[in-house]
Amino acid sequence: MQPSAEAIETKRDASSTQTTARDIYLPPERKQVSGGGETHVSAKNFSIYYGDFEAVKKVNADILSKYVTAIIGPSGCGKSTFLRAINRMNDLIPNCHTTGALMFDGEDVYGRFTDEVLLRKKIGMVFQKPNPFPKSIFDNIAYGPRLHGIRDRKTLEGIVEKSLRKAALWDEVSDRLDKNALGLSGGQQQRLCVARTLAVEPEILLLDEPTSALDPKATAKIEDLIQELRGSYTIMIVTHNMQQASRVSDYTMFFYEGVLVEHAPTAQLFTKPKDQMTEDYITGRFS
Amino acid sequence: MLERPVHELIRELSRELVMLSETVLSNFDQALTAVRIQDLQAARRVKEMDEEINLAEVRLEERCLAFLALQQPVARDLRTIVTIIKINDDLERIGDLAVHIAERMPDLGAIIMDQYEFEKMGRVASQMVRTSIEGFVDRERHLADEVCKSDEQVDAMHRLVFRKVADAMKMDSSNTSQLLAVLSVSRYIERMADHATRIALEVIYLVTGEIVRHGEDSFEKMVQSIKN
Repeated sequence: MQPSAEAIETKRDASSTQTTARDIYLPPERKQVSGGGETHVSAKNFSIYYGDFEAVKKVNADILSKYVTAIIGPSGCGKSTFLRAINRMNDLIPNCHTTGALMFDGEDVYGRFTDEVLLRKKIGMVFQKPNPFPKSIFDNIAYGPRLHGIRDRKTLEGIVEKSLRKAALWDEVSDRLDKNALGLSGGQQQRLCVARTLAVEPEILLLDEPTSALDPKATAKIEDLIQELRGSYTIMIVTHNMQQASRVSDYTMFFYEGVLVEHAPTAQLFTKPKDQMTEDYITGRFS
Repeated sequence: MLERPVHELIRELSRELVMLSETVLSNFDQALTAVRIQDLQAARRVKEMDEEINLAEVRLEERCLAFLALQQPVARDLRTIVTIIKINDDLERIGDLAVHIAERMPDLGAIIMDQYEFEKMGRVASQMVRTSIEGFVDRERHLADEVCKSDEQVDAMHRLVFRKVADAMKMDSSNTSQLLAVLSVSRYIERMADHATRIALEVIYLVTGEIVRHGEDSFEKMVQSIKN
Protein backbone atom coordinates (compact mmCIF):
# COMPACT_ATOMS: atom_id res chain seq x y z
CA MET A 1 0.00 0.00 0.00
CA GLN A 2 1.19 3.50 -0.75
CA PRO A 3 0.14 6.17 1.73
CA SER A 4 -1.98 8.84 0.05
CA ALA A 5 -0.55 12.24 -0.80
CA GLU A 6 -2.96 13.63 1.76
CA ALA A 7 -1.58 11.42 4.51
CA ILE A 8 1.91 12.58 3.69
CA GLU A 9 0.86 16.22 3.78
CA THR A 10 -0.68 15.66 7.19
CA LYS A 11 2.61 14.17 8.36
CA ARG A 12 4.42 17.14 7.02
CA ASP A 13 2.25 19.49 9.04
CA ALA A 14 2.70 17.32 12.09
CA SER A 15 6.45 17.10 11.62
CA SER A 16 6.82 20.85 11.50
CA THR A 17 5.82 20.94 15.15
CA GLN A 18 7.47 17.67 16.09
CA THR A 19 9.94 17.66 18.92
CA THR A 20 12.99 15.46 18.94
CA ALA A 21 13.29 12.18 20.71
CA ARG A 22 15.47 13.38 23.50
CA ASP A 23 14.51 10.91 26.18
CA ILE A 24 17.49 8.62 26.21
CA TYR A 25 15.94 5.20 25.90
CA LEU A 26 18.69 2.69 25.34
CA PRO A 27 18.69 -1.04 25.74
CA PRO A 28 21.13 -2.11 28.47
CA GLU A 29 23.75 -3.32 26.02
CA ARG A 30 24.07 0.22 24.66
CA LYS A 31 25.71 2.33 27.30
CA GLN A 32 25.00 6.03 27.63
CA VAL A 33 27.93 8.07 26.40
CA SER A 34 29.52 10.51 28.76
CA GLY A 35 29.45 14.13 27.70
CA GLY A 36 27.03 13.39 24.88
CA GLY A 37 23.38 14.07 24.29
CA GLU A 38 23.68 17.78 23.48
CA THR A 39 22.03 19.15 20.37
CA HIS A 40 24.78 18.99 17.75
CA VAL A 41 22.84 19.51 14.57
CA SER A 42 19.43 21.07 14.58
CA ALA A 43 17.04 21.39 11.66
CA LYS A 44 14.23 23.92 11.92
CA ASN A 45 11.60 23.91 9.19
CA PHE A 46 14.46 22.86 6.97
CA SER A 47 13.60 22.18 3.32
CA ILE A 48 15.87 21.28 0.43
CA TYR A 49 14.83 21.97 -3.15
CA TYR A 50 16.15 20.74 -6.47
CA GLY A 51 14.79 23.55 -8.62
CA ASP A 52 11.07 23.62 -7.77
CA PHE A 53 11.04 20.10 -6.37
CA GLU A 54 11.02 20.00 -2.59
CA ALA A 55 13.14 16.90 -1.87
CA VAL A 56 13.25 17.36 1.90
CA LYS A 57 10.19 18.94 3.46
CA LYS A 58 10.27 21.16 6.51
CA VAL A 59 12.25 18.86 8.73
CA ASN A 60 12.45 19.61 12.42
CA ALA A 61 14.96 17.50 14.28
CA ASP A 62 17.73 17.65 16.83
CA ILE A 63 20.68 15.31 16.31
CA LEU A 64 22.33 14.53 19.63
CA SER A 65 26.06 14.62 20.04
CA LYS A 66 28.20 11.50 20.33
CA TYR A 67 25.30 9.15 19.61
CA VAL A 68 24.66 7.24 16.41
CA THR A 69 21.65 8.32 14.38
CA ALA A 70 20.49 6.15 11.49
CA ILE A 71 18.44 7.51 8.62
CA ILE A 72 16.18 5.04 6.87
CA GLY A 73 13.53 5.23 4.19
CA PRO A 74 12.84 4.05 0.65
CA SER A 75 14.91 5.23 -2.32
CA GLY A 76 14.21 8.82 -3.20
CA CYS A 77 12.83 9.71 0.22
CA GLY A 78 15.40 12.44 0.74
CA LYS A 79 17.57 10.71 3.32
CA SER A 80 20.87 11.12 1.43
CA THR A 81 19.91 14.64 0.41
CA PHE A 82 19.36 15.49 4.07
CA LEU A 83 22.66 13.88 5.08
CA ARG A 84 24.60 15.68 2.37
CA ALA A 85 23.03 18.99 3.33
CA ILE A 86 24.69 18.82 6.74
CA ASN A 87 28.18 19.51 5.34
CA ARG A 88 26.89 21.34 2.29
CA MET A 89 27.79 18.68 -0.25
CA ASN A 90 24.64 19.67 -2.12
CA ASP A 91 26.24 23.04 -2.94
CA LEU A 92 27.84 21.26 -5.89
CA ILE A 93 24.42 20.50 -7.39
CA PRO A 94 23.08 23.31 -9.56
CA ASN A 95 19.60 24.60 -8.66
CA CYS A 96 19.80 23.10 -5.21
CA HIS A 97 18.74 25.50 -2.48
CA THR A 98 17.42 25.34 1.04
CA THR A 99 14.89 27.13 3.20
CA GLY A 100 14.50 27.12 6.96
CA ALA A 101 17.51 26.69 9.17
CA LEU A 102 20.14 24.04 9.73
CA MET A 103 22.27 24.73 12.76
CA PHE A 104 25.57 23.07 13.63
CA ASP A 105 26.85 23.86 17.12
CA GLY A 106 24.37 26.70 17.19
CA GLU A 107 25.62 28.28 13.96
CA ASP A 108 23.74 28.42 10.69
CA VAL A 109 25.33 25.97 8.24
CA TYR A 110 23.92 28.00 5.35
CA GLY A 111 24.84 31.34 6.89
CA ARG A 112 26.56 33.97 4.77
CA PHE A 113 29.87 33.71 6.56
CA THR A 114 30.11 29.95 6.82
CA ASP A 115 33.39 28.64 5.45
CA GLU A 116 32.46 25.34 3.84
CA VAL A 117 36.02 24.02 3.81
CA LEU A 118 36.21 24.47 7.57
CA LEU A 119 32.70 23.07 7.88
CA ARG A 120 33.69 19.91 6.03
CA LYS A 121 36.75 19.57 8.25
CA LYS A 122 34.43 19.43 11.24
CA ILE A 123 31.81 17.33 9.49
CA GLY A 124 33.48 14.50 7.60
CA MET A 125 31.83 12.16 5.16
CA VAL A 126 32.27 8.61 3.93
CA PHE A 127 30.49 7.47 0.80
CA GLN A 128 28.83 4.36 -0.51
CA LYS A 129 31.76 3.24 -2.65
CA PRO A 130 35.23 3.42 -1.12
CA ASN A 131 37.02 6.26 -2.92
CA PRO A 132 40.67 6.34 -1.86
CA PHE A 133 42.92 8.66 -3.83
CA PRO A 134 45.29 6.84 -6.20
CA LYS A 135 48.12 7.55 -3.79
CA SER A 136 49.94 5.71 -1.03
CA ILE A 137 48.07 4.78 2.14
CA PHE A 138 50.15 7.35 4.02
CA ASP A 139 49.39 10.15 1.56
CA ASN A 140 45.69 9.36 1.62
CA ILE A 141 45.52 9.91 5.37
CA ALA A 142 47.94 12.86 5.34
CA TYR A 143 46.03 14.59 2.53
CA GLY A 144 43.57 16.43 4.75
CA PRO A 145 46.05 17.53 7.42
CA ARG A 146 48.41 18.79 4.68
CA LEU A 147 45.54 20.71 3.11
CA HIS A 148 45.01 22.36 6.47
CA GLY A 149 48.68 23.38 6.62
CA ILE A 150 50.47 20.64 8.52
CA ARG A 151 53.87 20.00 6.93
CA ASP A 152 56.00 18.48 9.70
CA ARG A 153 56.75 14.83 8.85
CA LYS A 154 56.79 13.61 12.45
CA THR A 155 53.42 15.24 13.17
CA LEU A 156 51.95 13.74 10.00
CA GLU A 157 53.28 10.28 10.92
CA GLY A 158 51.63 10.62 14.30
CA ILE A 159 48.31 11.62 12.72
CA VAL A 160 48.46 8.77 10.19
CA GLU A 161 49.08 6.13 12.86
CA LYS A 162 46.43 7.53 15.20
CA SER A 163 43.81 7.74 12.45
CA LEU A 164 44.52 4.26 11.14
CA ARG A 165 44.35 2.86 14.67
CA LYS A 166 41.01 4.57 15.28
CA ALA A 167 39.70 3.11 12.03
CA ALA A 168 40.90 -0.37 13.12
CA LEU A 169 43.17 -0.63 10.09
CA TRP A 170 46.64 0.00 11.56
CA ASP A 171 47.46 -3.64 12.29
CA GLU A 172 46.66 -4.62 8.73
CA VAL A 173 48.60 -1.91 6.90
CA SER A 174 51.33 -0.60 9.22
CA ASP A 175 54.05 -2.41 7.25
CA ARG A 176 53.01 -1.04 3.86
CA LEU A 177 52.06 2.59 4.34
CA ASP A 178 53.92 3.52 1.17
CA LYS A 179 51.89 1.11 -0.99
CA ASN A 180 49.10 2.35 -3.21
CA ALA A 181 45.76 2.46 -1.38
CA LEU A 182 43.98 1.01 -4.41
CA GLY A 183 45.71 -2.30 -3.65
CA LEU A 184 43.66 -2.73 -0.47
CA SER A 185 40.50 -4.83 -0.32
CA GLY A 186 37.13 -3.07 -0.54
CA GLY A 187 36.55 -3.29 3.20
CA GLN A 188 40.04 -2.00 3.94
CA GLN A 189 39.58 0.83 1.46
CA GLN A 190 36.38 1.86 3.21
CA ARG A 191 38.10 1.86 6.61
CA LEU A 192 40.89 3.88 4.99
CA CYS A 193 38.28 6.43 3.95
CA VAL A 194 37.04 6.55 7.56
CA ALA A 195 40.65 7.02 8.71
CA ARG A 196 41.15 9.79 6.15
CA THR A 197 38.09 11.55 7.51
CA LEU A 198 39.25 11.12 11.12
CA ALA A 199 42.70 12.55 10.29
CA VAL A 200 41.35 16.12 10.26
CA GLU A 201 39.69 15.56 13.64
CA PRO A 202 36.05 16.07 12.75
CA GLU A 203 33.20 16.32 15.25
CA ILE A 204 30.63 14.62 13.07
CA LEU A 205 30.90 11.64 10.76
CA LEU A 206 28.36 11.34 7.96
CA LEU A 207 28.20 7.85 6.50
CA ASP A 208 26.21 7.45 3.29
CA GLU A 209 25.46 3.73 2.91
CA PRO A 210 29.05 2.93 3.90
CA THR A 211 28.69 -0.85 3.65
CA SER A 212 26.45 -1.37 0.64
CA ALA A 213 29.43 -2.26 -1.54
CA LEU A 214 31.04 -4.54 1.06
CA ASP A 215 30.80 -8.24 1.85
CA PRO A 216 29.34 -9.37 5.21
CA LYS A 217 32.72 -9.67 6.91
CA ALA A 218 33.87 -6.20 5.87
CA THR A 219 30.41 -4.90 6.78
CA ALA A 220 30.75 -6.35 10.28
CA LYS A 221 34.10 -4.60 10.66
CA ILE A 222 32.63 -1.24 9.68
CA GLU A 223 29.72 -1.80 12.07
CA ASP A 224 32.15 -2.64 14.87
CA LEU A 225 34.11 0.46 13.97
CA ILE A 226 30.98 2.59 14.30
CA GLN A 227 30.53 1.20 17.81
CA GLU A 228 34.17 2.05 18.58
CA LEU A 229 33.75 5.62 17.36
CA ARG A 230 30.40 6.11 19.07
CA GLY A 231 30.95 8.28 22.12
CA SER A 232 33.82 10.16 20.47
CA TYR A 233 32.00 11.47 17.41
CA THR A 234 28.45 12.26 16.45
CA ILE A 235 27.66 9.71 13.77
CA MET A 236 24.89 9.81 11.19
CA ILE A 237 24.44 6.87 8.89
CA VAL A 238 22.16 6.46 5.91
CA THR A 239 21.42 2.83 5.27
CA HIS A 240 19.07 0.67 3.25
CA ASN A 241 19.76 -2.21 5.57
CA MET A 242 17.27 -1.98 8.38
CA GLN A 243 18.99 -4.61 10.48
CA GLN A 244 22.11 -2.50 10.21
CA ALA A 245 20.23 0.58 11.37
CA SER A 246 18.83 -1.35 14.33
CA ARG A 247 22.22 -2.86 15.20
CA VAL A 248 24.40 0.23 15.10
CA SER A 249 22.24 3.21 15.98
CA ASP A 250 20.84 4.83 19.11
CA TYR A 251 18.31 6.95 17.23
CA THR A 252 16.55 6.37 13.96
CA MET A 253 14.95 8.84 11.58
CA PHE A 254 12.44 7.50 9.08
CA PHE A 255 11.93 9.62 5.96
CA TYR A 256 9.17 9.15 3.44
CA GLU A 257 8.78 11.33 0.35
CA GLY A 258 10.90 14.03 1.90
CA VAL A 259 9.00 14.10 5.18
CA LEU A 260 10.58 13.09 8.47
CA VAL A 261 7.81 10.74 9.55
CA GLU A 262 9.30 9.50 12.78
CA HIS A 263 12.41 10.19 14.79
CA ALA A 264 12.77 8.06 17.88
CA PRO A 265 15.17 5.98 19.95
CA THR A 266 16.04 2.99 17.78
CA ALA A 267 14.95 0.37 20.32
CA GLN A 268 11.55 2.04 20.43
CA LEU A 269 11.17 2.59 16.71
CA PHE A 270 11.91 -1.05 15.93
CA THR A 271 9.66 -2.54 18.61
CA LYS A 272 6.75 -0.14 18.87
CA PRO A 273 6.85 2.56 16.25
CA LYS A 274 4.36 5.36 16.86
CA ASP A 275 3.51 5.89 13.23
CA GLN A 276 1.64 3.43 11.00
CA MET A 277 3.81 4.41 8.00
CA THR A 278 6.97 3.55 9.92
CA GLU A 279 5.40 0.27 11.00
CA ASP A 280 4.49 -0.62 7.41
CA TYR A 281 7.91 0.32 6.09
CA ILE A 282 10.06 -1.52 8.61
CA THR A 283 7.90 -4.65 8.50
CA GLY A 284 8.12 -4.65 4.70
CA ARG A 285 4.47 -3.87 4.05
CA PHE A 286 5.27 -1.03 1.66
CA SER A 287 5.16 -1.72 -2.02
CA MET B 1 -1.57 -3.00 2.83
CA LEU B 2 0.89 -5.16 0.98
CA GLU B 3 1.13 -8.65 2.41
CA ARG B 4 4.21 -10.73 1.68
CA PRO B 5 4.80 -14.48 2.01
CA VAL B 6 6.54 -13.77 5.29
CA HIS B 7 3.29 -12.40 6.72
CA GLU B 8 1.41 -15.49 5.59
CA LEU B 9 3.96 -17.44 7.64
CA ILE B 10 3.14 -15.37 10.72
CA ARG B 11 -0.56 -16.06 10.17
CA GLU B 12 0.18 -19.74 9.89
CA LEU B 13 2.05 -19.72 13.21
CA SER B 14 -0.89 -17.85 14.75
CA ARG B 15 -3.30 -20.47 13.40
CA GLU B 16 -1.23 -23.24 14.94
CA LEU B 17 -1.39 -21.50 18.28
CA VAL B 18 -5.18 -21.21 18.04
CA MET B 19 -5.43 -24.92 17.16
CA LEU B 20 -3.25 -25.79 20.13
CA SER B 21 -5.51 -23.76 22.40
CA GLU B 22 -8.54 -25.71 21.16
CA THR B 23 -6.84 -29.03 21.82
CA VAL B 24 -5.80 -27.91 25.30
CA LEU B 25 -9.32 -26.75 26.20
CA SER B 26 -10.96 -29.89 24.90
CA ASN B 27 -8.49 -32.00 26.87
CA PHE B 28 -9.32 -30.00 29.98
CA ASP B 29 -13.03 -30.71 29.46
CA GLN B 30 -12.24 -34.40 29.00
CA ALA B 31 -10.33 -34.41 32.29
CA LEU B 32 -13.29 -32.98 34.22
CA THR B 33 -15.68 -35.44 32.53
CA ALA B 34 -13.37 -38.37 33.26
CA VAL B 35 -13.31 -37.40 36.93
CA ARG B 36 -17.11 -37.06 37.06
CA ILE B 37 -17.86 -40.43 35.48
CA GLN B 38 -14.78 -42.10 36.99
CA ASP B 39 -13.64 -43.32 33.57
CA LEU B 40 -10.10 -44.69 33.78
CA GLN B 41 -9.82 -45.04 29.99
CA ALA B 42 -10.78 -41.41 29.48
CA ALA B 43 -8.23 -40.32 32.10
CA ARG B 44 -5.58 -42.26 30.22
CA ARG B 45 -6.57 -40.57 26.97
CA VAL B 46 -6.17 -37.19 28.68
CA LYS B 47 -2.61 -38.16 29.56
CA GLU B 48 -1.89 -39.34 26.01
CA MET B 49 -3.33 -36.19 24.52
CA ASP B 50 -1.12 -34.11 26.81
CA GLU B 51 1.93 -35.79 25.35
CA GLU B 52 0.78 -34.67 21.92
CA ILE B 53 0.21 -31.18 23.26
CA ASN B 54 3.78 -31.15 24.58
CA LEU B 55 5.12 -32.16 21.18
CA ALA B 56 3.03 -29.52 19.43
CA GLU B 57 4.26 -26.91 21.89
CA VAL B 58 7.91 -27.74 21.22
CA ARG B 59 7.31 -27.79 17.47
CA LEU B 60 5.63 -24.38 17.50
CA GLU B 61 8.38 -22.89 19.65
CA GLU B 62 11.03 -24.23 17.29
CA ARG B 63 9.26 -22.71 14.31
CA CYS B 64 9.00 -19.35 16.06
CA LEU B 65 12.70 -19.40 16.98
CA ALA B 66 13.63 -20.24 13.41
CA PHE B 67 11.41 -17.37 12.25
CA LEU B 68 13.17 -14.94 14.60
CA ALA B 69 16.59 -16.08 13.41
CA LEU B 70 15.82 -16.13 9.71
CA GLN B 71 13.38 -13.26 9.22
CA GLN B 72 14.50 -10.86 11.96
CA PRO B 73 11.04 -9.38 12.38
CA VAL B 74 10.49 -5.94 13.90
CA ALA B 75 7.60 -3.92 15.34
CA ARG B 76 4.20 -5.67 15.17
CA ASP B 77 5.70 -8.78 13.55
CA LEU B 78 8.26 -9.09 16.34
CA ARG B 79 5.59 -8.63 18.99
CA THR B 80 3.38 -11.25 17.34
CA ILE B 81 6.09 -13.91 17.35
CA VAL B 82 7.16 -13.14 20.92
CA THR B 83 3.52 -13.27 21.99
CA ILE B 84 3.00 -16.62 20.27
CA ILE B 85 6.04 -18.04 22.10
CA LYS B 86 4.71 -16.86 25.46
CA ILE B 87 1.10 -17.95 24.95
CA ASN B 88 2.39 -21.30 23.69
CA ASP B 89 4.14 -21.77 27.03
CA ASP B 90 0.98 -20.90 28.99
CA LEU B 91 -1.11 -23.32 26.94
CA GLU B 92 1.32 -26.16 27.59
CA ARG B 93 1.09 -25.53 31.33
CA ILE B 94 -2.71 -25.52 31.18
CA GLY B 95 -2.35 -28.87 29.44
CA ASP B 96 -0.36 -30.17 32.41
CA LEU B 97 -3.05 -28.96 34.81
CA ALA B 98 -5.66 -31.09 32.99
CA VAL B 99 -3.48 -34.13 33.57
CA HIS B 100 -3.07 -33.26 37.26
CA ILE B 101 -6.84 -33.08 37.61
CA ALA B 102 -7.27 -36.47 35.91
CA GLU B 103 -4.67 -37.93 38.27
CA ARG B 104 -6.85 -36.93 41.26
CA MET B 105 -9.73 -39.03 39.89
CA PRO B 106 -9.61 -41.86 42.51
CA ASP B 107 -10.32 -39.42 45.36
CA LEU B 108 -13.13 -37.61 43.59
CA GLY B 109 -16.42 -38.29 41.80
CA ALA B 110 -19.75 -36.83 40.67
CA ILE B 111 -20.88 -35.90 44.18
CA ILE B 112 -17.72 -33.98 44.97
CA MET B 113 -17.79 -32.31 41.54
CA ASP B 114 -21.30 -31.01 42.27
CA GLN B 115 -20.59 -30.13 45.87
CA TYR B 116 -17.67 -27.87 44.99
CA GLU B 117 -19.00 -26.72 41.59
CA PHE B 118 -15.78 -27.63 39.83
CA GLU B 119 -17.41 -27.80 36.40
CA LYS B 120 -18.79 -24.30 36.80
CA MET B 121 -15.39 -23.06 37.90
CA GLY B 122 -13.80 -24.91 34.98
CA ARG B 123 -16.25 -23.33 32.54
CA VAL B 124 -15.31 -19.84 33.70
CA ALA B 125 -11.59 -20.62 33.43
CA SER B 126 -12.04 -22.21 29.97
CA GLN B 127 -14.00 -19.20 28.78
CA MET B 128 -11.20 -16.96 30.01
CA VAL B 129 -8.67 -18.88 27.92
CA ARG B 130 -11.01 -18.79 24.90
CA THR B 131 -11.61 -15.05 25.23
CA SER B 132 -7.92 -14.28 25.63
CA ILE B 133 -7.15 -16.29 22.49
CA GLU B 134 -9.92 -14.39 20.67
CA GLY B 135 -8.22 -11.22 21.86
CA PHE B 136 -5.00 -12.51 20.29
CA VAL B 137 -6.66 -13.31 16.98
CA ASP B 138 -8.61 -10.04 16.74
CA ARG B 139 -5.93 -7.96 18.48
CA GLU B 140 -8.65 -6.62 20.77
CA ARG B 141 -7.57 -5.11 24.00
CA HIS B 142 -11.06 -4.99 25.50
CA LEU B 143 -11.26 -8.80 25.32
CA ALA B 144 -8.01 -9.00 27.27
CA ASP B 145 -9.37 -6.57 29.86
CA GLU B 146 -12.48 -8.74 30.19
CA VAL B 147 -10.32 -11.78 30.97
CA CYS B 148 -8.39 -9.89 33.64
CA LYS B 149 -11.69 -9.01 35.33
CA SER B 150 -12.94 -12.62 35.25
CA ASP B 151 -9.85 -13.75 37.12
CA GLU B 152 -11.31 -12.24 40.27
CA GLN B 153 -14.40 -14.43 39.88
CA VAL B 154 -12.33 -17.63 39.76
CA ASP B 155 -10.23 -16.48 42.70
CA ALA B 156 -13.43 -15.98 44.70
CA MET B 157 -14.63 -19.47 43.79
CA HIS B 158 -11.29 -20.90 44.87
CA ARG B 159 -11.49 -19.10 48.21
CA LEU B 160 -14.97 -20.51 48.73
CA VAL B 161 -13.72 -24.06 48.14
CA PHE B 162 -10.87 -23.38 50.55
CA ARG B 163 -13.32 -22.31 53.27
CA LYS B 164 -15.63 -25.27 52.67
CA VAL B 165 -12.67 -27.66 52.92
CA ALA B 166 -11.42 -25.97 56.09
CA ASP B 167 -14.86 -26.39 57.66
CA ALA B 168 -15.11 -30.03 56.56
CA MET B 169 -11.70 -30.81 58.04
CA LYS B 170 -12.94 -29.78 61.48
CA MET B 171 -15.41 -32.64 61.44
CA ASP B 172 -14.29 -36.00 62.91
CA SER B 173 -15.59 -37.95 59.95
CA SER B 174 -13.59 -35.94 57.42
CA ASN B 175 -11.84 -37.81 54.63
CA THR B 176 -8.50 -36.00 54.62
CA SER B 177 -7.09 -37.39 51.39
CA GLN B 178 -10.31 -36.53 49.59
CA LEU B 179 -10.30 -33.01 50.96
CA LEU B 180 -6.69 -32.55 49.91
CA ALA B 181 -7.63 -33.69 46.40
CA VAL B 182 -10.48 -31.18 46.39
CA LEU B 183 -8.10 -28.40 47.38
CA SER B 184 -5.64 -29.44 44.67
CA VAL B 185 -8.25 -29.48 41.91
CA SER B 186 -9.53 -26.08 42.96
CA ARG B 187 -5.98 -24.79 42.92
CA TYR B 188 -5.37 -26.28 39.42
CA ILE B 189 -8.42 -24.55 37.99
CA GLU B 190 -7.47 -21.31 39.69
CA ARG B 191 -4.01 -21.60 38.14
CA MET B 192 -5.53 -22.19 34.74
CA ALA B 193 -7.37 -18.88 35.15
CA ASP B 194 -4.05 -17.28 36.09
CA HIS B 195 -2.55 -18.55 32.85
CA ALA B 196 -5.52 -17.13 30.93
CA THR B 197 -4.83 -13.79 32.61
CA ARG B 198 -1.19 -14.00 31.61
CA ILE B 199 -2.26 -14.67 28.02
CA ALA B 200 -4.52 -11.61 28.22
CA LEU B 201 -1.60 -9.47 29.41
CA GLU B 202 0.48 -10.81 26.54
CA VAL B 203 -2.30 -9.77 24.18
CA ILE B 204 -2.18 -6.27 25.66
CA TYR B 205 1.55 -6.23 24.92
CA LEU B 206 0.84 -7.36 21.37
CA VAL B 207 -1.71 -4.61 20.84
CA THR B 208 -0.03 -1.73 22.64
CA GLY B 209 3.64 -2.63 22.93
CA GLU B 210 3.40 -2.03 26.67
CA ILE B 211 4.40 -4.71 29.15
CA VAL B 212 1.68 -4.48 31.79
CA ARG B 213 2.62 -7.35 34.08
CA HIS B 214 3.40 -6.27 37.63
CA GLY B 215 1.35 -3.12 37.06
CA GLU B 216 0.75 -0.44 39.66
CA ASP B 217 -2.45 -2.01 40.89
CA SER B 218 -1.03 -5.51 41.33
CA PHE B 219 -0.06 -4.80 44.95
CA GLU B 220 -3.51 -3.38 45.75
CA LYS B 221 -5.07 -6.43 44.14
CA MET B 222 -2.98 -8.73 46.31
CA VAL B 223 -3.94 -6.84 49.48
CA GLN B 224 -7.58 -7.00 48.40
CA SER B 225 -7.43 -10.75 47.81
CA ILE B 226 -5.90 -11.34 51.24
CA LYS B 227 -8.70 -9.33 52.88
CA ASN B 228 -11.46 -11.32 51.16
